[in-house]
Amino acid sequence: MAGKRAWEKIWPPASAILAVLLVWEAACRLGMADPWVLPAPSAIAGKLIEDADLIVRHVLATLGLAAGGVGLGLACGVAVAVILHLMPAFRAAVTPILLASQNVPIVALGPLLMIWFGFGLTPKLILLTLVCFFPIAWSMLTGLGQSEPHLREYLAMIGASRRDILLKLELPASLPYLFAGLKISVTYSVLAAMFAEWLGASRGIGYYLFIRFKGFDITSVFAAVICIIALCFLLYSLAAALEKRVIYWRRPSRRAGAGELK
Amino acid sequence: MKTEAGEVQLEVTGITKRYRREGKPHLVLDGVSLKVRQGEFVTLLGPSGSGKSTLFRIIGGVELPDEGEVAIGGRIATGERGLISYMPQQASLFPWMTVRRNISSALEIAGVPRREAQASADLWLGRIGLSDVAGEYPDALSGGMQQRVSFLRALLMPRGVMCLDEPFAALDALTRAEMQRWLLQLWEAERRSVLFVTHSIEEALTLSDRIYVLSSPPARVLREIAVPFARPRRGDVWKDPVFAELKQEIMDLLGRGNPHAV
Repeated sequence: MAGKRAWEKIWPPASAILAVLLVWEAACRLGMADPWVLPAPSAIAGKLIEDADLIVRHVLATLGLAAGGVGLGLACGVAVAVILHLMPAFRAAVTPILLASQNVPIVALGPLLMIWFGFGLTPKLILLTLVCFFPIAWSMLTGLGQSEPHLREYLAMIGASRRDILLKLELPASLPYLFAGLKISVTYSVLAAMFAEWLGASRGIGYYLFIRFKGFDITSVFAAVICIIALCFLLYSLAAALEKRVIYWRRPSRRAGAGELK
Repeated sequence: MKTEAGEVQLEVTGITKRYRREGKPHLVLDGVSLKVRQGEFVTLLGPSGSGKSTLFRIIGGVELPDEGEVAIGGRIATGERGLISYMPQQASLFPWMTVRRNISSALEIAGVPRREAQASADLWLGRIGLSDVAGEYPDALSGGMQQRVSFLRALLMPRGVMCLDEPFAALDALTRAEMQRWLLQLWEAERRSVLFVTHSIEEALTLSDRIYVLSSPPARVLREIAVPFARPRRGDVWKDPVFAELKQEIMDLLGRGNPHAV
């Protein structure tokens, strides 16, 4: 039953992707596009297999960087959300700064961090943390203030302490929001990691893409793009799976018809 | 919590509360006074919107009265939280906690050590025949079962007064009658001091030792009625002719205060 339902969800997007690939392949074979402008899917697949060892090493490097950034971003995001939630006056004071920090373009911030911290891992991790922490912090901050009013009233009536209210009500109630933010962050993290590698690195899929682009090896560039997309999907799926495990109390019965995406 | 039978557990004296509504002061409670003695079941009966919940919030220390005092366990405790146990109209169970944990965590808030709280929750869930669902999440329970758990949670808190705020108002008529019999049985075995709010005359007469009849807003105590039926009380006490007389008396009383009431 479950397998059948999963299949019903998979086949429409799968057949759409397949159709695009077929049209693309046909167009290339019929000579409608030059191979150095638009390589055929079969050529890209061939390149992926041919360069597999190298690509896997670069992908793993990027994955490590992205995971480090997400981990640090998660820790900072949760800490910032809780602190701002507990101190409303402080929250009001720093909100504009926090918002402004998100408007500093990453193309400016990246090189600056390189100048300040050199070409090692530090500036890259700082860049990724800055990119990843914000969606998590902002989303969780909303969640902390959104817990059910009748549960809040109950805790007030029995004289629960601020700590009890935070631990027993606000934190658990904010978890769905935390994961909404995390899912955005993981997608950003791969792109930010790639960008950091582009700025200065000797490994990573961003570095690979940059080098191949310089050599006009368009097929390899496409292969790198495929890897980056796959990496985003992988991290998103991991975050979604983690969400299902952590938010164990949300039963399917309750979610039925709730318009879930996945 | 050791008090002699007949000793006053909760005393509310001359409580007056005004809200500002559209810039004008709006009187909600007009000098309400009442008493609950040790082991007594006292009901506040009044039309909907007569400020009963506001009075509860004042007793719970969540709101401050404009005039008057609240004394709990013989001590002035106006605006002091953490002295009562509370059962709201909605079950207000925490969806991320199991039934057992919902009860034990409330007991922990009231200062019961963790192991003791868990043992007490398990013991009592067994006693009321809910051992089977102790490990379930509240979502899996029917409305009536949720209210039983909510009542048990209030009953087990080591506090001098239990405040029950229209706990059965959201249930269907059949479940409601069943819950009344259930509560009566459990309460008569335990004899805790209870302040119960309802707008159902039958419910008040079936359950209480004394009834304070409140007027429509601004709320004043119209009359204090001692309910003469013996304990343990029969479930079919409504067949008693005195029951009908008292019901008529209360209806007249409420009708005089407000021609549209009941």
